[in-house]
Amino acid sequence: MSFAGRDASEIEALHTDRYLEALLAQRDLGSSPGPHPRSAAVAGPIAAASTAAGSAPADSGPDETAAVANEGHVDPAIAFAAARLGRDLVRVHPSFRFEERLARRLADIAAAMRLPAAAGAEGSAVPVIPFPFGAESDPAADAFVAPGPAFPRPVLIGGAVASAAISLAGAALVAWRLGRPGADPMTRAIRAAHQLRDATLPARTRLD
Amino acid sequence: MARPVFRRVDGAEEALRRVAHLDADRALVVAARRDPSRFDALYRKYLAQVYNLAYYELGNHHDAEDATERTFVAALAALPRFEERARPAAGEGASTFRVWLFRIARNVVANRRRELRRHPEAPLDAAAAIADPLDIEGGLDRRSDADAAWAAVARLPADRRRAIVLRFVDEMTTAEIAGVLGRSEGAVRVLLHRALRTVARELGAGGR
Repeated sequence: MSFAGRDASEIEALHTDRYLEALLAQRDLGSSPGPHPRSAAVAGPIAAASTAAGSAPADSGPDETAAVANEGHVDPAIAFAAARLGRDLVRVHPSFRFEERLARRLADIAAAMRLPAAAGAEGSAVPVIPFPFGAESDPAADAFVAPGPAFPRPVLIGGAVASAAISLAGAALVAWRLGRPGADPMTRAIRAAHQLRDATLPARTRLD
Repeated sequence: MARPVFRRVDGAEEALRRVAHLDADRALVVAARRDPSRFDALYRKYLAQVYNLAYYELGNHHDAEDATERTFVAALAALPRFEERARPAAGEGASTFRVWLFRIARNVVANRRRELRRHPEAPLDAAAAIADPLDIEGGLDRRSDADAAWAAVARLPADRRRAIVLRFVDEMTTAEIAGVLGRSEGAVRVLLHRALRTVARELGAGGR
């Protein structure tokens, strides 16, 4: 780390920061059996000096830590304050009752956050039974039916009924219009000409 | 000789491995994004830390619980928008999720403080929890020390106090604190350095 271009307070702050990192690493080393990932990089000489001096890292008090501070050129007053805060600012844990209550609330929110069903799939799924030959059809009647699936695809019953109804209504309208005399002279003339032409055309050229 | 396309794929995989290695919570975050009910693991991991920040900022268990609950509910709701930004400077074992979560907590706590319009000047009850009930004299000394330390921290300006709590209670690195407070690492170093100087003065460093 280069200190070029920095003023004295920045350099002091850097020393303090390095010292605090070392304290953190020292605490990690003392509290866990294995090396903490962060410790290897920053613990280095200070932790080693501390161990060599016979001080227990986890239990080091303000005085011991202030002694360690000189390794990083830290003001002893700052080292003292850091040690006091490290010791006296205790960690607190919320009550287990609160922990479980909040866990349940989060679980409820998580359940509500799951992807909603696609449009049109809000209701329960209903299996489509092929009509008229379902799985529970009469085996005796099936014997008279050609093999193979009668309706390999799902059937849209409502749509089929609607389209059939429209087709019937259309056929009825055409038949009624053909049999009905025209409302005005021009319509009657056109219809008469059409019938005359149908009657005079050769049979092979007629479409019907 | 490998073709360039293979080199590109190798590079991407290497970058992915590096990010996964850097961000300690990557697997948990990915799982929680796929299935929000898996957020529980992140919640259990960081509950105490978030609670500590809220408790030291707000000064009582009731407000701390409320702020903690708001923080985790907001985090769960915003998890799909979370972006992992692990970088080598953050150091090994760093978690961008932790920084992101603490930013939410910081905002929640700040809002709560604005609502309350008061500062946690009263000594914390936490000091009593660590005192040995059989060592009455030592316990009283310890509590007195803890009260004095907290009183010194509580009188600091908000940013310095927050930096101290994140450093000494939640044991964050300078980079993580910078991420939480939305400041540069240099600014955080100076904040901590000045805060420690003030605390040392308050605690009468050199004597006790």
